[in-house]
Amino acid sequence: MANIFWVTCPKCRGEFYCHTQELRHKGIKLLCPYCSHQFLDEESPRIME
Amino acid sequence: MGKNLHDFLSQLEGQLQHDLVRVEQTVSPAQFEVTALLQHLEEMKKFPALFFEKPLNLKGKPSRFPLLSNFFATRQRCALSLGMSADDAKLALSLEYARREEKLISPVTVSTKEAPVKEVVKRGDDADLYEFPIVRHHAMDPAPYIDMTPVMKDPEQGFYNVAFLRNMVKGPRRLGIHMSPRHNWQIHRKNEEKKRPTPVAIVVGHHPAFYLGALNVSPFGVDDYARIGAVMGEPLRLTASETWGEDFMVPADAEIVIEGHVLPNVKEVEAPFGEFTGYYGPQRLRPVIEVTAITHRRNAVFQHIFVGHRDNWVLGGIPKEGSLFNLIRGIVPTVKAIHFPISGCCRFNCYVSVDKKIDGETRQAALAALAGCDFVKHVVVVDADIDVYNEEQVMWAMATRVQADQDVDIIKNAKGNTLDPSQTDDIMTAKMIIDATRPVQRPFAARVEVPKEALAKTRLEDFISPAILERLPKA
Repeated sequence: MANIFWVTCPKCRGEFYCHTQELRHKGIKLLCPYCSHQFLDEESPRIME
Repeated sequence: MGKNLHDFLSQLEGQLQHDLVRVEQTVSPAQFEVTALLQHLEEMKKFPALFFEKPLNLKGKPSRFPLLSNFFATRQRCALSLGMSADDAKLALSLEYARREEKLISPVTVSTKEAPVKEVVKRGDDADLYEFPIVRHHAMDPAPYIDMTPVMKDPEQGFYNVAFLRNMVKGPRRLGIHMSPRHNWQIHRKNEEKKRPTPVAIVVGHHPAFYLGALNVSPFGVDDYARIGAVMGEPLRLTASETWGEDFMVPADAEIVIEGHVLPNVKEVEAPFGEFTGYYGPQRLRPVIEVTAITHRRNAVFQHIFVGHRDNWVLGGIPKEGSLFNLIRGIVPTVKAIHFPISGCCRFNCYVSVDKKIDGETRQAALAALAGCDFVKHVVVVDADIDVYNEEQVMWAMATRVQADQDVDIIKNAKGNTLDPSQTDDIMTAKMIIDATRPVQRPFAARVEVPKEALAKTRLEDFISPAILERLPKA
């Protein structure tokens, strides 16, 4: 699997992970799978990479 | 009338009683209720096909479509779908698959009036994915997913490719689609380079042999409709699509066909999705399908696969076993059996037995398996006295016939699978061959055995009553 980074949804605090090459620092809004909130990776209160 | 799901389900209920469980209570697939039931059954080591009579659709209302789930979770049901006995569900099933796969049966065309899948036709805004009881599978999945088979057509050579791919529901007429760099991806790439949309038709529900045929491991360029016909044992009946007419043919006996375009150079976030590995694939940018039409039978059944579980694994393993057995037999004629065990998702681990006559045959067999299917990561080759369908025996052979410094080979930087979480590269992986056979060229210890004569004349029931035997706990 490609490199991934874990993010935390700023709205519901749910944690999930994304493809680093495609979505890290790309200015693309991520989709929280738990609450459907859309946010930039920089808005995540915690990033694990 | 060609082979179809309805007739097969009737046959199944006649042949394997209790193998199909009809659930009459209302169930909400999009709220994880279907997968929760499947998980409970899995923990009980029970794998029936479930037929939900009253699922809710994505609007939360009773769906007109019943939902079939977990059909492929047993090899016995797969054997029945090829017209075989449930008793022939091990190697015999794989070999029969391989025998059928060696030839092609060209599809036949029927008019749209004759095609059951055209009994109801909805085009444009009338097509609404939310009418279906689409399943949301695992906790981190962001939406319900259709996980059956999109069909694409090569724009240069005109052959059709059918593959299981995940489709995330993004709207009533919008889907995300994930393609690993395999055949459908190649077709989409060709179109995308010319800024053309890729026509796609998702076949949701068909005779189970259709789906077993779809998982053939033929090289790119073989028409999957012809290969599916060969596995089904009759020409696949095709009919013109609503969107492209006879330029793009769809299975006439399917339950439901969803037609659409994969948009060129449009990508949106999609996933995470619980994948066949048993792990989530990460959220990433993936192409988008705009749905153009939906056609279905009046009494259509919506089908899904429980991805990352037996339903998904068994289905994927059988075609690979058959194809690779044929491939290996051409190189190592002493090959006896092949099995993709559940423990390796029926993809990553491959057990091969050979009646070895000379040292070196094992490596040849293993290399053929690795070359024949890029899913395969680890090949364990055992002697013919080991039942490759019995993992305990395979592990015993590994424990007692392997010296790691002599019998294990690692191949680096081979093509792997983007969804394998252990890979440190997006594409490349390491492969491993374990030769768990006895050497031919030096003396080797013999297996213990109770004398055959003693086994024949000493009958268990003469010493322990059948009632006690019945009560003994199984290991």
